[in-house]
Amino acid sequence: MVDSQGQPDERPFERMFYPVERIPFVEWREFSGAKPTVTLVAAVTVLAFVTGLSNLSQPQLVVDGPLGGIVPGTRIFVRFAGVLFAFPLALVTFGLSRRRRIAWLAALVLVPLLAVFPFLTGRPTEIPLFFLIVVTVPFLIANRGEFDTALALSSLQVASLTSILGVVVYGTIGSYGLREQFIELHNWGDAFYYVIVTIATVGYGDITPRTVEAELFSLSVILLGTGAFTVAVGALVGPAIESRMASAFGTMTASELALLEDHVVVLGYGDVTESFLDQVADGTDLVVVTTDTDAAARLSDAGIEVLTDDPTDESALVDARVDAARGVAVASDDDAANVLAVLATRNVNSDVRIVAVANGDTHVDKLGTVGADEVIDLRSIGGRLLGATVLDPDRDGDAGSPLEGLLGRTDGDFAGVATADPDSETSAAGTDGETSAAGTDGETSAADPDSETSAADPDGETSAADPDSETSAAGDTEP
Amino acid sequence: MSTVDISDGRKTVAGAFLSTFVGSGAVVLVGFFFPALVGGVIGGQTWLVLALLFFGSGLGYIAVLPHDSDGTTESTGSALLAVRRGSVRSLLGDVVAAHDPAILGLPIAVFAGYFALQLAFPATTTAAINGLTDGILRGMGPMLLGVSLLSVLYCGALLFGPWGDIKLGGEDATPAYTYPTYFSLVFTAGIAAGIVFWGPAEALFHYQQPPPYFDAPAGSSAAVNAALVYSLFHWGVSAWAAYAAIGIPIAYFVFQRGAPLRVSSILTPFLGVDGLASPWSRLVDTLAVFATIGGIATSLGLISQQFLAGVAFQWDVPPSDIGPVLLVGGLATVFVLSAVSGLHRGIRRISGLTVVLFGLFALLLLTVGPRGFVVDRGTDALGSYAVHVLPMSLFSSGSWVTEWTVWNWAWWFSWAPFAGTFIAALSRGRRIRTVVFTSVVATSAATGAWFLIFGGTALSLQRGGGADALGAITERGGSEAVAGFPLLSSLPLGELLAFLFLSLIVVFMVTSADTSTLVTAILASRREVAPSRGSIVLWGGFQAAVALSVLLAGGGETLQALAVLTGAPFAVLAVLALIGLSLALYREERGRGHASIVRQALDRLPTIQAHHDVDPPDRES
Repeated sequence: MVDSQGQPDERPFERMFYPVERIPFVEWREFSGAKPTVTLVAAVTVLAFVTGLSNLSQPQLVVDGPLGGIVPGTRIFVRFAGVLFAFPLALVTFGLSRRRRIAWLAALVLVPLLAVFPFLTGRPTEIPLFFLIVVTVPFLIANRGEFDTALALSSLQVASLTSILGVVVYGTIGSYGLREQFIELHNWGDAFYYVIVTIATVGYGDITPRTVEAELFSLSVILLGTGAFTVAVGALVGPAIESRMASAFGTMTASELALLEDHVVVLGYGDVTESFLDQVADGTDLVVVTTDTDAAARLSDAGIEVLTDDPTDESALVDARVDAARGVAVASDDDAANVLAVLATRNVNSDVRIVAVANGDTHVDKLGTVGADEVIDLRSIGGRLLGATVLDPDRDGDAGSPLEGLLGRTDGDFAGVATADPDSETSAAGTDGETSAAGTDGETSAADPDSETSAADPDGETSAADPDSETSAAGDTEP
Repeated sequence: MSTVDISDGRKTVAGAFLSTFVGSGAVVLVGFFFPALVGGVIGGQTWLVLALLFFGSGLGYIAVLPHDSDGTTESTGSALLAVRRGSVRSLLGDVVAAHDPAILGLPIAVFAGYFALQLAFPATTTAAINGLTDGILRGMGPMLLGVSLLSVLYCGALLFGPWGDIKLGGEDATPAYTYPTYFSLVFTAGIAAGIVFWGPAEALFHYQQPPPYFDAPAGSSAAVNAALVYSLFHWGVSAWAAYAAIGIPIAYFVFQRGAPLRVSSILTPFLGVDGLASPWSRLVDTLAVFATIGGIATSLGLISQQFLAGVAFQWDVPPSDIGPVLLVGGLATVFVLSAVSGLHRGIRRISGLTVVLFGLFALLLLTVGPRGFVVDRGTDALGSYAVHVLPMSLFSSGSWVTEWTVWNWAWWFSWAPFAGTFIAALSRGRRIRTVVFTSVVATSAATGAWFLIFGGTALSLQRGGGADALGAITERGGSEAVAGFPLLSSLPLGELLAFLFLSLIVVFMVTSADTSTLVTAILASRREVAPSRGSIVLWGGFQAAVALSVLLAGGGETLQALAVLTGAPFAVLAVLALIGLSLALYREERGRGHASIVRQALDRLPTIQAHHDVDPPDRES
């Protein structure tokens, strides 16, 4: 880091004046990215709120900015404007923190619009907000690439929001059309006000229908609107609560667990679990059973089903439907726990295929003895891989390097290899076969009936069922 | 274990600053947004303390914020840790041992002696020094005017001539500082809070008492022009050229000849690089340290006093004895932290902030102020300046010129050793043309714009009766510090402008004091060692001590006069440096293929498209 460090001709002052190679005016790296942008929008929100409150606290608000006389309705709206903007902006800030594209678009509209207000009132208190906005907008534009997550509303949410919009439009136009038959309803503003007050079940009663036709119309607005409103609240708020509960207790509800079938149960969370899940997660139903709540939260965020429970406890295994599982992978970092987990699994389901990880090579036999069908010795695999790579570094072509050869087996083309040459598969079982078995890939089992005898399920059905259940599960966990 | 302690210490300090900043900021914001709510509860003095706490803690926080590269290097906490581990005495011993005894001892002895005399015989000392000052300024006046003009002409020659093409540090050196950083460091180091006070005051003074060169009656429309032209003259190219006259020779000898980074390196062509350990060069360095401390520390003390005087005038804050002391202490904390944290951290960040605030204030003032007047009279003044700058530079008759122009040039030359050294140190990898362009043209464009905007606003309001700044100045016995407040409060957004005005004073003071601390520490250290953190803290503390003594013992104006007097020898040295530089350039750089900017433009003409502009002098950034 120190410029020309180690060079004999570095002079005393150069260390002071040239501590780093490049000294820019602003370290843009510290400021680029989504986080500072979200912080700035949050600051705009707070400042808008405070500025708005300040305007509200004025006994007599003077509108003498340069645009004060031009923009219509200034006198009415300017008092509430700051606070009125602050609440949608708070929502936008939340959306930005989730990297939502739509929040970014909304921010790009709302924030510059807010910059108009200093020109309406001309109060010095609005100038800081203006400068903050001047700083924020370039950040929003410069970091536009960071906010690219689609909103991903569920169909129910879309439906309920659309129907609210529909009812509001219907109610507003309809009540304006029937304005002669209402008391106190004179213009579009009144019509809109009436519909909102009605839908929100407030019903002040200042505007009331006078004729049967208007009454019937009002009833339709109440029934449709209140219904849509209630459903929308449920659809919007419900998933958030559900996902919060789920991440506290594991993602699976009892009913979802009951639906599990022909899935793979992973018992315990260890060093190999993540890469194992990366390998297998696509196209296979998975349930991870672990007591590690941090890992559970992380996995459920990544869309993997987690049952937060003790993997050595039979009742937990029953919950995880080990009796209907295609296979069980035992993969915690603690061999003693692994042994107990294998024993517990055998107690619940004596037929299921169990693949266990042995962290110490002296435990391989023990795990086999207690009932694991395959035992993977992590160290010996590592050692062999190391040896093969060192001795044969130049091998390439179809087989690839020893590393690719070993790891490639878990991919789809392993199926082809196994079918084409069952003998080499058997002979390689000591090394590669275990890896592939640990993968428990749908395609692997389809192509390799020998190693999958205990998993008697019809494979074709499995692979057909997988994509559906996977998507539905993912849809549910989406907050 | 130590790294944990260090980062913990830094985090604690940063956390303390941040919470002070947020806390005081919240109260200030509430006061700003809901004046009715808290106006009665909190008095003027509390507001001032809160606002200063807000600025100070914010600056301290950005100074101690870590830099990306700091992961492995030691940090602020290590000094504290060393204090905790070893005895303070041994630490101080190490720091002192790293200094050149003469350069460390002499300035300290002179300042101590001065304050002793000032305490024992205040009247005699002041009278003696004032007599000396008057004599020297009158006697050396024409010389200072001549050197100032010579510097401008020399800078012009470097800017347009072939020697400007020389790249400091060799052709393949690349500048470490990007151009905006480079400009803001040079600009904020070279100018202190004076620019903020004098912005409105300089033009007002000249309007009230027009310079004899323009034969205009006081308070007339012609006097407006004279006032603006002289403001431009006193703070423009002629002033900044003094820094370049010392800085560019230093930069050339440091980067092209391997001389050490000191003011005495200007003697390289006469003594040779190996002869720079002579008593002559140590004398020059000692004088430079004296001039720097005298110039900056007294400014620190005096400006704190004036700052509070202005605030007292504007907001009826009762003057107190403890106020200036606390202010100087707070400023010292910030600038020492900034200097210790290094160029890439505190110094760079605070100077960047200063430039941003400076630009923001000028823009805001132009927006809400009398734009038409400022633009009309400003362009008139610029044209007038271009026509009259040469005769004004040579005009030397009368006491007005001695009091204003000569004093001003002496002042700029007394700051030149420190500012020049700093400019030189930053310029590795830049062409001499770029250095001249930045330290003379760009900086004087910034100050010129400032004086036209602020001075023009002041004159317009004074003439139109919008604000009586001159009355306020007279009321406070001619103090330039009060001029800004009546002006700003008569403009729209006055509160905001006043708030920015206060913050500008603070940041400009800090940016000059931190760089001067750094430069003094370098000058006073032995030539083979870089100043340690302890040494920087020592010099920062010494500057603060001088500033406090000015406040407590009095005689600040006299001490400042004494420091400004060193401008005279440095003007002589500047001539020597320019002669030496010319000799060296003539000997070394002739026939090396350096092309003047005109030649470069002509060379490019046939090959480039018609719509391409000629490259600006700063080709590498």
